[in-house]
Formats: sequence, C-alpha cells, structure tokens
Amino acid sequence: MDSVTLTIDGRPVTVAKGKTVLQAAIESGISVPYYCYHPGISIDGSCRVCVVKIEKMPKLQTSCSTLCADGMVVSTRDRDVVEARAGVFEFLLINHPLDCPVCDKGGECPLQDFSYTFGPAESRMDFPRRVFDGEGVKADVDFGPTLMLNRNRCILCTRCVRFMKEIDGDAQIGIVDRGYGSEIATFQEQGVHSLISGNLMDVCPVGAILTKDYRFKSRPWDNPGVVDTICTLCSKGCNTSAWLKAKPEWARGSRLIRMTPRYNPDVNGYWMCDIGRFNYHWIEGENRLRRPMMRGSAGSAAQAAPLEASAWHDVQPRLRDRLQEAGSGGAFHFLASAHASMEELFVLKQLAEALLGGDAMKSVSIGWEATEKPQPATTKFKVPVTDAPNVNGARDLGFAVGRGNEGPADLSGLRKAVEAGTVKALYVIDPAGPKGSLGDISWIAAARRSGALSLLVVQAVVTSELTEAADFVLPGSAWVEKDAIYTNDQGRVQAASRAIAPPGEALEDWQILVNVGRSLGVALPYESSGDVRRALAAAMTGYSEAERLAFMRPVPASTWMQASNPSERWKWDFLFQDLPPTKGHNVQMEGLPAQATPFIPLKPVQ
Amino acid sequence: MAYEPVLTKFVNEPNSYTLDFYLKHQRGYEGLRKALTLQPNDLIEQVKASGLRGRGGAGFPTGMKWQFVLKDTPKPKYICCNADESEPGTFKDHVLMERNPHLLIEGCAISCYAIGAKVAYIYIRGEFFHVQEILEAEIDKAYKAGYLGKNILGSGFDCDVYVHRGAGAYEAGEETALIESLEGKRAQPRIKPPFPAVAGLYQCPTAVNNVETLCNVPLIVMNGAEWFSSIGPEKNGGPKLFCISGHVKRPGVYEASMHTTLRELIYEQAGGMIDERPLKAVIPGGSSVPILLPEQLDTPASFDHIQKAGSLLGSAGLIVMNDSVCMVWLAMNLLHFYRHESCGKCTPCREGSDWLFKLLRRVEAGEGQPKDLDLLFGVSNNIVGKTLCAFGDAAATPVLTTMKLFRHEYEAHVREGRCTLPASWRAEHPIFAAH
Amino acid sequence: MDYAPARFHASARKLAEQGGDFAYTPENQAKFDAVVQRYPADQRKSAILYALYLAQGQQGYLSPAAMSHVAHHIRCTAAEVEDVVSYYTMFFTKPVGKYVINVCRTLSCALLGAERVTEQLSEVLGIAPGETDPTGTFTLLEVECLGACDRGPVLMINDTDWHERLAPENVRTFVDDLRTRGVGALTGCHLHKEGGKT
Repeated sequence: MDSVTLTIDGRPVTVAKGKTVLQAAIESGISVPYYCYHPGISIDGSCRVCVVKIEKMPKLQTSCSTLCADGMVVSTRDRDVVEARAGVFEFLLINHPLDCPVCDKGGECPLQDFSYTFGPAESRMDFPRRVFDGEGVKADVDFGPTLMLNRNRCILCTRCVRFMKEIDGDAQIGIVDRGYGSEIATFQEQGVHSLISGNLMDVCPVGAILTKDYRFKSRPWDNPGVVDTICTLCSKGCNTSAWLKAKPEWARGSRLIRMTPRYNPDVNGYWMCDIGRFNYHWIEGENRLRRPMMRGSAGSAAQAAPLEASAWHDVQPRLRDRLQEAGSGGAFHFLASAHASMEELFVLKQLAEALLGGDAMKSVSIGWEATEKPQPATTKFKVPVTDAPNVNGARDLGFAVGRGNEGPADLSGLRKAVEAGTVKALYVIDPAGPKGSLGDISWIAAARRSGALSLLVVQAVVTSELTEAADFVLPGSAWVEKDAIYTNDQGRVQAASRAIAPPGEALEDWQILVNVGRSLGVALPYESSGDVRRALAAAMTGYSEAERLAFMRPVPASTWMQASNPSERWKWDFLFQDLPPTKGHNVQMEGLPAQATPFIPLKPVQ
Repeated sequence: MAYEPVLTKFVNEPNSYTLDFYLKHQRGYEGLRKALTLQPNDLIEQVKASGLRGRGGAGFPTGMKWQFVLKDTPKPKYICCNADESEPGTFKDHVLMERNPHLLIEGCAISCYAIGAKVAYIYIRGEFFHVQEILEAEIDKAYKAGYLGKNILGSGFDCDVYVHRGAGAYEAGEETALIESLEGKRAQPRIKPPFPAVAGLYQCPTAVNNVETLCNVPLIVMNGAEWFSSIGPEKNGGPKLFCISGHVKRPGVYEASMHTTLRELIYEQAGGMIDERPLKAVIPGGSSVPILLPEQLDTPASFDHIQKAGSLLGSAGLIVMNDSVCMVWLAMNLLHFYRHESCGKCTPCREGSDWLFKLLRRVEAGEGQPKDLDLLFGVSNNIVGKTLCAFGDAAATPVLTTMKLFRHEYEAHVREGRCTLPASWRAEHPIFAAH
Repeated sequence: MDYAPARFHASARKLAEQGGDFAYTPENQAKFDAVVQRYPADQRKSAILYALYLAQGQQGYLSPAAMSHVAHHIRCTAAEVEDVVSYYTMFFTKPVGKYVINVCRTLSCALLGAERVTEQLSEVLGIAPGETDPTGTFTLLEVECLGACDRGPVLMINDTDWHERLAPENVRTFVDDLRTRGVGALTGCHLHKEGGKT
C-alpha cells in the first residue's frame, strides 16, 4: 500500500495514502480535538476545532479535511493553533448549558474532555444562553421511541443528520432554521424511527441525543467494568461492549447497563442495531430461570403434577432415568436453537452420537427464526433476517440447516413426527430471550399436554409456554454469561465473552449437556468451555484458530473514561494508550512559552 | 477621454432587452458565432489573455478558472451563473439581466462551449422574480432563434440554459453554497478542496461565474483580448459596473473603466453628496469589505488599487455615507444582516455573528462597557480566518474596520451612554427631495 | 420495549400550521413535471425550490401535507424538505396575508430611512413586523438586502412585486392605495418603466 510521511509536532508520521491529517494525528497518538468528524460518516469540516497549522499554507487548516502529503509539516501546538482552537471552543460553549452534573453524557463527553484540555479557562459570554425547549430537564424532549433530544446541548456538528442520511438511508433528521437559530429536528417532531437509532447516542458528541434506555440510569464512573463481546441476537455478530454497573449487594436492578457497538470494519463497522442494543433486559429480568425444575413424580401422568424448583443433584438422576426410559423406545429427539454456541452444539453432537449411534444427526433438529426487518432500501447497515448467531456453525458441524441464513428453519418434519407420535421424547435447548428462538412452537407444548409427547426436557434461560409444559426445566445461560464462539453469516468465527455470571443455579449450557451425558455414561472429558474449544478446533476443519480466540474480561472503567464516546473506543486504542490520563495536565500546552494572550484567557501551563 | 459603455449602453432604451434590439444594436450573438469556429482551448486562452477577472467579488481570473475545469472525465460539465446578487450595496447584475439579458445568454453559451459543458444554470435570487420573467422569456426566444438548444448555428454544439430560482439566502452567493442550493439542499458551503472545477454541481466539473463576468465574454470574443485589457489599468482590464448607493444624489449603476477614481464615481457619475454634506466613509465593494475614508477617494476603483488602499473592490457596490452616520449603528446594521444570513454550518460564524450583534446592540444602545469593546475585537478576530467560507471574514469586517477607523465613536457610546453624533440625519432628513 | 416513563416534555418548536390534504392542481403538476426535466434524471432534488414555490403559490403557505407532497415528488424525505423550507426566507409555514410586505432593512435602504418606513407601516397597519393583520390582508416583514440599493427604501410585495423609494411620510397613502388598487399601486421595478416596458 502507498504511504506518505509527514511531520506532526516534530514527529515523523507515516500513514497510508488518502488519510487525512486528523486521522494521521489520531493514529500516532497526537491529540487533536474534533466534533463533526466521525470515522464512520462523511467529512463535514464544520466544527472547526481540529484546526492545525501546515507549513506553506496561508491559513489554519481543518485537519479533518486535509489529506496528508509527503513532506507536510504540521503543527498542533503552534500559538496560532492554540488560540484559534480556544476561540472555537469558546464559541461552542457560549450557548452550551452547564448542566454536566445532570447530563447523561457527563464523564464521557468529548465536549467536556476536549474543552477541558483545549478550551479557554473561562467564557467571556455575558448574555443569557440560547434556550430551545426549556431549561433543565424540561429541555429533554421526545425524539422517537428510543431517543430523547436536548437541543440546548446540541453543538450542531450534524453527525446525526449525516448518520441518518448515509448509514440509515432514511434522512429523518434535518436542521431547521439557519444560522444562530439552527436546531436539529425531525419532520413535525415525529422523532427518529429506525432500527439503528441507538447509534445516534453514540455519534452525538454531547448529551443532546440520549437513549431512553440509558437515560438517568447510570454514570460512567458507576460503570466500573466493560467487556468486549459480540451480540448474538442475529446472524451478523456485531462486535459489542457490555457495560456493567457497580452496585452494592442490596441494590435492586441489573448489572448489565447498556450495550454499545465496538468497531469491526469487517462485520459491523461502528454500528449496531437497536435489537442488540436494547434487548438485554430479560437476561437479568424477573422471568429468568435460576433453578432447575421438574414435576413431582415419574411417568406421563406427571403432566398433572406441578413444576417445582429443585436442585441439580435431585434433578440429574430423575432426568437420567427418564431419558434412559425414552431412549430405549428409540423415539428420542433433540431440538437445538441456533442460538446455541459452537461449544454447545459440539458437545450435543457427541452426546447424540453416543446415545443414538448412526442415526444421531437425524435425531437432532436445529431451529431458528427469520424476520424481515423494516429498513430503508439504501441502508448501509443491513440487519440480517436470521435471528440466530450460529446457523453456519451448526452447518459446519454437520447438522441439517436447510437454506441456512436465507430463511427460517423448517421444523415441519419434526412437528409431523411429534404429532404422529413417532417422536415421544424431546430435549429442547434454547438459550435465547423471552420469545425463544424457535418460532411458533406451541405445538410442542400442545403435544406434551395431549400426551403425544411423553417427555419434554427444556434447557432455557427464561420461562415460556414451553418451560411451563416441560417435565424438566434446566436453567442455562445467556450469551453474556458464558465464553463461547459463534460462526456468523460471513462464516467468521467470533468470540462472545462472559460479562456476568449466570444467576442462581443456572449453568453454562455446555456444562449442562456434559453433566447429562456423564449421568448417562457418555464420556465427555471437558472441564471448561476451553476444553471443548480445543477438542472442536482439533476435530473440525476451518476451526483451528478457534482455541486461540481471545475472551475479554471486564476492563476497569478508568480505562474507559479516556474513551469518551463509547462508539469511539478505537480512539482510545490509538489516542490515549501511550498517554496517562491527562486531566489537569495540559499536554497540548507543553513547549509553549507561558505568556498571557490578549483576548482568550487560556489556562496556565502546568 | 470619455468612456463609452458597452455593457449598459442601451439599458435605458425601450425594448433594450429584446432579441431584435440586441441583434440590431449590439451585434447580438456575433460573439457566439465566432466562438463556435474556434477551438475551446483557444477560447480559454483568449479569455486568459484578456485578463478578465471575476466580477462577483473575489476577482479571480476567469480564464484560469475555466482552465482548471477537469477535462478528462466522462462526467458532464456545467456552467453555473451566479445571479444570486445579494451582497448589500450591489445591484449591477440586476440591471444586466433585466435590460440586457441576451448578453448573458450569449455569454453562457460561449462559456459552455469553452469548458465543454452542455448545460448552464443561471441561479437567480428568489427576490428577482420580475427579472427572472424577462430572462426566461428571452431565453425562449433565443431557443427559437437557434442560439440555444441543439446544433446551435449549425455547429453541432448543443447548449441548454435554465434559470434556477433561489428562495432567499445570501449565502447562496458563495460558489459551493450555490451549488448545494442548486442540488436542492440548504445553501451551505462545502469544504474546499475539491474545488467546483473538479467536483462541483452533482460532483461534476463546474465553473461558477458571476453574471457580469459572463456578460464580458461575448465582448472579448468579438473585440479581442487586447481591446479588453486596454480598458482600465494593467491586470484590471475591461468595462466595470459600479453600484453606487447611499447618500449620493444619483444612486445607480455606472459603467466605467477601472481607471476611474472613487471620487469621480461619487462626485461626477453619481452627482455628489446629497445636500453637499461631507462624505464620512465609503464602503467600496459591498458590505463585506473594509471602509475607505475621504482622503482615499482618489484611489482608482480597480481590484488592485483598492486592495492597496486597504480594502477590496469586491462586487463594486459603493455605499456612500455622509457625516451623520454613526459607525456603531452601521456595524450593528450589517451584523444584523450577517447574523440573519449566516448559514449556521460552521461554529465560529454561527455563534460569533450572533454574539457580535448582541454586543453591538448593547453598545449602540449606550449600555456597553469598556470590556465590550475589547470583546468585539476579540470575537471578531476569533472568527476571521477560522470559518469554512469567506462569510466569516465578511461578517467580522464591519466590526473590525469601524473599530479601527472610528474607535472613538465606540468609546463615546460607552462613555456617554448614547450616540454623540448630531441628531441622526436618517431620522430627520426629507431624503426624497433629492430624487 | 418499554424503556422509560411514557410521557415526556413536548418540544417547544413551532411547527408548520396543519392544513388539509394537499395535492398539486393538474396545472401545477404539469409545471412541476416540465421543470424537473431541466435536471439530470437522478437529481430530482434540484427541483425542490421550484416545487415548493408551486405548493406555496397554491396554498399560500407550506403545510406539513404540502411538504410531504413535495417530498413525494422529489423522492426525498419530508425531513429533508422541512430542512430546506426552514433555511430559505421566502417560504412560509403558516398562513400569511394577501399582501406580504417585505421591507428591506439593510444598510443602503436603512441609510435612506427604511427603519422609519417599517415603523410607519407598523403603525398604519396596526401590526408589528412578523405579524399578519386580523383581516388577513397584510403581513409585515423586515427582510435583508433585496438588491436594489439605489432605489431604497425598497419593498417586495409577496415574492413577486416591487415598490421602490417609499418615503416614510408616504406610507399611509401607499397602504390605502394598495388596499384599493392592489398591485397596481406599486411602482414596480423602475428599470421596467425607464426601459419602457409595460
């Protein structure tokens, strides 16, 4: 690849041809502020805070819009630059409310961070601030089903406008009025209605656009842990971060506090959809299965007995007996959701082969749902139809998956068999949310109630019609509760890291299967999911790297504090990694003679 | 040596706007006929040799602008005629389009031929509806007479000229904002580069030229580059329209060479000051340029001379003010304009113009404090050179120039809590006796 | 998903006045179809200002329905139309008077008394700038430079007609005249007259 070498602040910097000066500065750890620039959307050049001095150019240039050229000499610390930048910060702040203490962005706000570093120490503005919808919390107005808008805080960087036009494909946000009266608005205040609206909170560099989900819920310093993981709610496999809130033992509420996208140029870019972002409450919700359950007595008459919470050591032997009983009849079948990870499906396959022999693969059905998502035709972030993360993984393991990610699973054969009574015992594995991930499976519950099925084992994470009808309910884990790998619709094998522990007595799903197998006398020599991955990597072609995938653990929030905007984690990776936290220590002013400027009071150099 | 107008010679004749009149009295479409026999490159060379400089404000050589238009591209190319004329104090294009529209139409066609475009859009400001009606009617006639459309004059060259009506935005006069507006968006400037010559209208190579600039093109083709450059000082050749408004007896559009001094323009052409009151200040190039003082009136009104005198010829809109005009009020009036017209895209201009206006309003009302004067200066300097387009500089100029030349008036407002000039002439004088 | 309390504060932004349904008259539709041909086929948005003028001419102002109708024709979103409408000063999003009197207030006109013209108009019409009189006959607006600085103070009536050199002391007569004779009372653009055009 062609590269160019330029000098920034005296440092030689080599970057790929076509990069801008701002990108070069970011890549080389030189701090330059910016608002209208966002790496995922087009360049606007309007906020003017990224100005730098470039030799042989008459005026200061915006680094976001200037392409690097060989031999270019750039300064980000020249007195002209420092003063101009401070001047622009003063302009940005003359109308921005000082409500950081109640603003949800406070603590991770680029306007806060950058103006603290680069802005003037005080404002000379003595006119009342511009107010749009009211003062304080009143200024927060409805901005569609997922978002709130606070126009007073808006600095008109137009990232949201460009995001909707370029990424979403439906330009629902515009600017109304012009000049000093400009404000961000949707047509007739209808709000943003988009499947990827949550990204607007991430692109917003201030607290103007907030998700209703995260509003007033936490502060960055209350979120001590952040885990790099992936989303498993569809076949895309967006790379995400799960944010954890610190809370004392006695406090109510969940630990998972939000999901944000993590940059992966090959999968999701900088974005994720609202389903993945907001659909996590069930993980720590009221309907979560925390203990194994079974019905009072053995036999099909047990259907009348109530489902009672029990302990694993009581459930295991009863389950073993029932399974042996059913297995001997030859009418035993597994139904696994494509939400199950590679590890789980791998163990399941071994278990089935040990129990059922040559017909094993015919006795396992893989289920998933597919829904067409309403999105503009021109969207750059297409949410796939398949609502499961691992259809390709199931295929790679040799399970029959029909048309794969092109449509929903076909369970009609299984249904016929169940209703005809040729399948008498069914073991369902579905680690997905409240609605399950197998489509309409009321026929299973009906078959159990009618007696067509004599045994129904359900391994799941939340209560559902299916668990209500089951003889045994085995509490498994959601994807954020276990280290596991999934193969997305591109065939990319990705790691989902464990962010929180499974609640109560719930176990990781591979563990449940191993335990069931062992009780039935099947040798499954795995003590951890890592063991399963090692075996899987050795056994399957194309998965040799699987055991080397990295699983992340919560990163201390102090690290994240530097990242400011969660969508700009990449910024932290480049920008701050070689710099200690810079609060109170004004790196940018180094090397400047301490001299009072006539018009902009700058902070003293420390 | 008496100057013989060429652009506006007939504007007061009845029917000067008609095609018949144009053909009969102004050697109409001879320039186009001749241009079509030349190679486009030769045409560009000729315009370069003439030294024609853009009449819209920046004074950039037109031939160079055309030469920059990307040649090797499969994309179509465009001429955009900037008829947004909205710089306060400027009304020359108004006259040209209304009274001599065929000169512009011919200029558009020749320019299209020169850069290889097939379409020219005339972006006319929304307020000039009556001008647009005439222009469109005359374009129709030009089509019917074969000067526009397919296979013009049998040359095989096709050219369409369309009028595009704006809707009230000063910023649309900035070339990239004009392009944005033509594309159906808000008239907000783009970052440059890329320049319109590379990626302009619809991301295609585009030349944006002022009305008066394009009107000069047929004259250059007909009379030659030498004739053109011989009018006026070196590098400031050609006929020039001057718009004179304010406290003069005969405000209006005057055509002259750029040898003509400001004094001649004001005192001879425009008849001098109303009531023979002393001249206090003149803005020589539309509201965005620095003020010149009475002792600078002998400056020739050329791009280079005016620049040497510390201002800019800009759009050649001379706003003449007598001794009654309060300079703080002037700055406030203009900042009201700039605040209203700021497109709001970039921070310094959007926030700064509003802040400056508020400060000026306070000072003008006599409620200012000494610190406000430093602040006016400081805020202006924070705008200058930091904005996306030239608008920011333009908006800060009225403040900076009045503070530089008339700081005592600002100080008096702060000190006395009121304007210390004699009772405002604006408020008292029966001005219309002069007309 | 229920994320948060059901009710939130409403925006204080002034919205376009609701009107009834809107669709171009066949005549306007034909005009639009003709003008959109002037632009490349994939650049229909270029015709947006023209489309808005047509809608405003038909309805007097641009209601949400009119903006949506334009969006449909331009093939863009209604938000993009509102974005454009709100940027340009010559579009109205609420009903205006039969005569919209736009008084130029910028320097050259102001030097010749434009402020007093507005004052007088305001007094005679009994409305402040920005308002419409109760009979719906007049709307008074102050606007920035109209580009006829040699003939100030200049007025633009609606978005089509001009009146030049209106002395403050003649305002009352002017208004009476406008009331009785309509646009015939206007001077028009002097170039028309001096040029002999009728």
